[in-house]
Amino acid sequence: MSNNILSVKNLEKTYANGVQALKGVSFDVKKGEFLVIIGLSGSGKSTLLRCLNRLHEPTGGEILFHGKNTAHIKGSEVRNLRSKIAMIFQHFNLVDRHTVMSNVMMGSLHSTGTFQSLLGLFSDKAKEQALKYLKLVGIADKANYRASQLSGGQKQRVAIARALAQHPEVLLADEPVASLDPATCHTVMDYLEKVNKELGITIVCNLHFLSLVRRYATRVIALKGGQVIYDGEPKNIDNAWFEKIYGEGAKEVHIN
Amino acid sequence: MLWGNSMKENVKARFFDVTSIGYIFMMLIVAIVQPGEDVLLDLGQNSLVALLCFVVALVLVVMLEKAKVKTLGRLIFEPAHKKAQGQKKGMLQSFWGAQLSVFFLITLIASLIVTEFSFYELSSQKGFEGAKRIFSAMFTPNLSILPQGVLAIVQTIFMAFLATAIAVPVSFILSFLCASNIMNKSAMGVIVYTVLRIIMNVTRSIEPLIWAIIFSVWVGIGPFAGMLALMIHTVASLTKQYSEQIECVEDGPVEGIQSTGANALQVIWFAIVPQIVLPFISFTIFRWDINVRMATIIGLVGGGGIGTMLMNYQGQALWHEVGTLGLLIIAVVWAMDVASAQIREALK
Repeated sequence: MSNNILSVKNLEKTYANGVQALKGVSFDVKKGEFLVIIGLSGSGKSTLLRCLNRLHEPTGGEILFHGKNTAHIKGSEVRNLRSKIAMIFQHFNLVDRHTVMSNVMMGSLHSTGTFQSLLGLFSDKAKEQALKYLKLVGIADKANYRASQLSGGQKQRVAIARALAQHPEVLLADEPVASLDPATCHTVMDYLEKVNKELGITIVCNLHFLSLVRRYATRVIALKGGQVIYDGEPKNIDNAWFEKIYGEGAKEVHIN
Repeated sequence: MLWGNSMKENVKARFFDVTSIGYIFMMLIVAIVQPGEDVLLDLGQNSLVALLCFVVALVLVVMLEKAKVKTLGRLIFEPAHKKAQGQKKGMLQSFWGAQLSVFFLITLIASLIVTEFSFYELSSQKGFEGAKRIFSAMFTPNLSILPQGVLAIVQTIFMAFLATAIAVPVSFILSFLCASNIMNKSAMGVIVYTVLRIIMNVTRSIEPLIWAIIFSVWVGIGPFAGMLALMIHTVASLTKQYSEQIECVEDGPVEGIQSTGANALQVIWFAIVPQIVLPFISFTIFRWDINVRMATIIGLVGGGGIGTMLMNYQGQALWHEVGTLGLLIIAVVWAMDVASAQIREALK
């Protein structure tokens, strides 16, 4: 039990417009694993991740982070939680008008005082760290470019560096490669793997392509209609499971 | 209850339909009865007729609802998920199409009558001669008053600048409090938002000219009153423009910064401000531009600057002098327009 960093119990989320995105989802995340969540668009994957770092507030159930229920915490507790559970997004969500360096520094907003941060007075340590993480994702040479000048893959690497600048314990990745070309996909996924293996950061990642799942995941959860229908090792997902997850007649698309 | 659980939209749609259909009834009655002025001035009786129209309209709207006819109000206010389902009918075969056409046509005809629109007056020989005389005088300027004119327009530009400069920081702060996407998080926020919106709308709907009259009584006739009038109007206008810009920022960066554990102020500063800074700058420059033009109008009530000078000459029908000042204003406004366009382009 003690090596469960996150534990989701019977989680429910119903949006104000009546859409029920999660209908009682339960699973555990072990420290250090690379957990991949698969499922059709609209199956609740994104909602699930956004409940984990409390961008959304769940309408039922529990989320235990280090054994403490975070489902309904408020204010500074939420910000503390978010600083420990970083997130990267399909559309990168960088601030386009700021430089790459500045974007990475935004990862240390939580640990910087409000007044200092508004004046842009980040500590030397924060700057050093930002540069270190930019090097880690191999993009330090672009530090003074504006984020808008980068390609999609480069933006996602900056987003990873920003997430790392938070010194997180968990990194959530919401379809991090869905808007990238196949070659770039692997570059970004390789960096996520590096983060996972070298820094020991637990990763929870939404993905579409099963070939990527088999290559990178240490464990897989499949969501369908807001419920968990598979929880196990990636290698056990055969054609029968595939059809169950994605619907009859679905064809697997391979990217290499 | 009739169209699902979206009560608020339902009320809005019904209100819209009752108002628009009641209005159509009223206009039809006016067209049929052709009341004289004494009848039109009988407010009590007319209110009664209007009320009657709205009651009949309400009955009609409820009947239409029961018959599931898609009225214009339904079309506009129904929630997106309802919009997605159901077949689409073209504008010509539908009830809402007819409602819109009748509404527009009646209003158009009424406007033509009310504004006394007349091609006859527009093409009258005598009127045209008069206009020609003034125009030809204005295009032969009297250059001897140019030095005074330059001095006056410099005063006007400074007046407009000060009004804009004081208004910008005030509007900047107010705009966040008037942006629904920032304020809708809590009940307190919604109250502040609503109250400020009302104040701003009232302030903005009072023309700077009226503000100038108020302030010229308050602080005395002169450029100070004019500047205050411009400033008040600028605060209200810029707040509206700024807050609308804030309301349409992309959510992505906001979510991105929120996910780092940043607090609300940091999210605003790092995720929202970078997205709005360019439009803010162009609105601001454009507003200064508008204020220079408006400052000339403010002169009408003694707001100082070139406006006052213009009004003096205009009152004496000295069209050559008016033309001189007109050219001066055109030159300045044109120069500011070009400059602001260039600056906005370069900042992109």
